[in-house]
Amino acid sequence: MDDIAIIGVGLHPWGKFPEKFWTNMASDAIYMALKDAGITWKDIQIVVSGSQNWGGRKGIYAGSYIDEVMGYTGVPTMNINNACATGGTCIAVAAAMVASGQADIVLAVAADKSAKGFFPFLPPYHEEPVPADDTMRWLMGLPNPVYWALECRKKMEKYGITDDHLAMVKVATSKHGAINPAARYKKEFTREEVLASPMVCNPLRLFEICATSDGAGAVILCNAKKAKQFTSKPVHIVGSGLGSPLYGDPTTRIPVLGFEPKEGMPIISESWVAARSAFKDAGMGPEDIDFVEVPDNSSWHYFQYLETMGFFEEGTAHLALERGETMIGGKLPVCPSGGFSSFGEATMAQGFAQVYEMVLQLRGECGQRQVQGAKVGMSEVYGMAGNNAALILKN
Amino acid sequence: MTEAQTEQKRVLLGEGLFTPTEPGVDGQIIATHCKSCGDYFFPRSFTCHNPECDEKDVEDVALSPTGIVDTYSDMSYPPPPPYVVKKEDWVPTPVVSVKMPEGIHIIGMMDECKPEEVSIGMEVQTVIRVLYTNKSGEELVGWKFRKV
Repeated sequence: MDDIAIIGVGLHPWGKFPEKFWTNMASDAIYMALKDAGITWKDIQIVVSGSQNWGGRKGIYAGSYIDEVMGYTGVPTMNINNACATGGTCIAVAAAMVASGQADIVLAVAADKSAKGFFPFLPPYHEEPVPADDTMRWLMGLPNPVYWALECRKKMEKYGITDDHLAMVKVATSKHGAINPAARYKKEFTREEVLASPMVCNPLRLFEICATSDGAGAVILCNAKKAKQFTSKPVHIVGSGLGSPLYGDPTTRIPVLGFEPKEGMPIISESWVAARSAFKDAGMGPEDIDFVEVPDNSSWHYFQYLETMGFFEEGTAHLALERGETMIGGKLPVCPSGGFSSFGEATMAQGFAQVYEMVLQLRGECGQRQVQGAKVGMSEVYGMAGNNAALILKN
Repeated sequence: MTEAQTEQKRVLLGEGLFTPTEPGVDGQIIATHCKSCGDYFFPRSFTCHNPECDEKDVEDVALSPTGIVDTYSDMSYPPPPPYVVKKEDWVPTPVVSVKMPEGIHIIGMMDECKPEEVSIGMEVQTVIRVLYTNKSGEELVGWKFRKV
């Protein structure tokens, strides 16, 4: 893909906004993106919106209600839900709409308000004859982080990763988040503080798992030939890839209760698939990427995504972190935004926070946290049940 | 109070997922086995999920009663609803992924076991237990694992 440009981005702050409904958060992000692009709502030709789990029926058709508050213009509107990979998926789909010539100016948008603490159980309206694993695991007391912890423990024992390494991930991401005005948590954590935080699911501690958050983001995509009339600094989407798992994937994936791993299958295979698809699309490889936003839902994710995406050999990302290679100024800055650890997980919208950061980095507008000479950035966002969306952006 | 009123109601986590269904005893997980490709699935399924398998001739079978811990964690925090437990009553409880001799991994909590007692490679036995009393006052019966 080489003829799509991002001409406008907007990000509603991450945090808790009890006084504000998510349609309002979405419209704030949209107005910010429209202003950034120098266009108006009436210029938008297609809306690709994230649908959400926590908003009831209205949340399922989120895009339709966002259209309503912005003012109906009759444009095609899609409501997409790929779990926490929704944000990245919306942008990838919007890019495909532009690339196919369906429209010249497409809006991708998502807003989310998540519950505090563990995500809540969503009981099914129609239960299956055999209860779904995602129903039973809640009844059995198995929330999301325990799945990550099971994978984390296995990886630690296999590669000699220590509690210190897990804590150092938070130290690293919080250092970046502390200098990002858009981040929700701007505190730099020490290793001691992280290790002193309560254990949630052994070996993962509270500060090694991202918080939940409200948030919203919007991205305006345009046919690259026409982008110059809106912006002097277009950022191009040069690669995108969506992934689902491969059969026999060995990962203890949320919400499985039984699975049969097959020899030679990659861990988090949906990430493996999406990353390779995006690299192929861009005609690039990991060596061409100047910085990466990974889904650092937990310290385990930080290491595993870097390895599965192809930046480091399996079982070595913790050594790269140790050497400082993943810091701004290092060989491959990871999560220069501060990552989900500094933002919190606004499930459907978090892919937008990643792309917002990538666009600012590639425009050279990041000040203190600018990755010097950044030309190509990549992001991946992780969704439960085997969802993944990868994007490669170039200035 | 009559006998009927004092009788404790029980509900299974799911029908046909484990045997026996009376709690308090050792048991086995029931999985779906594909006779065509040999793969196993849990929870049991009406079909084989292997994309390479064309026959998809499936049957439900009881898995081996014991397996090996492939990895472990623990719920250090009390599990969120619909799990029912008083915060102050919760003790950190190990969660294990158990590799069965058939090749399938089954996830569950350990019964009567401290986190420090669990390690990768240890043998565990499938057991049928009352997990807790649910909001409707019924005992929820499911599977757990115990040390061998």
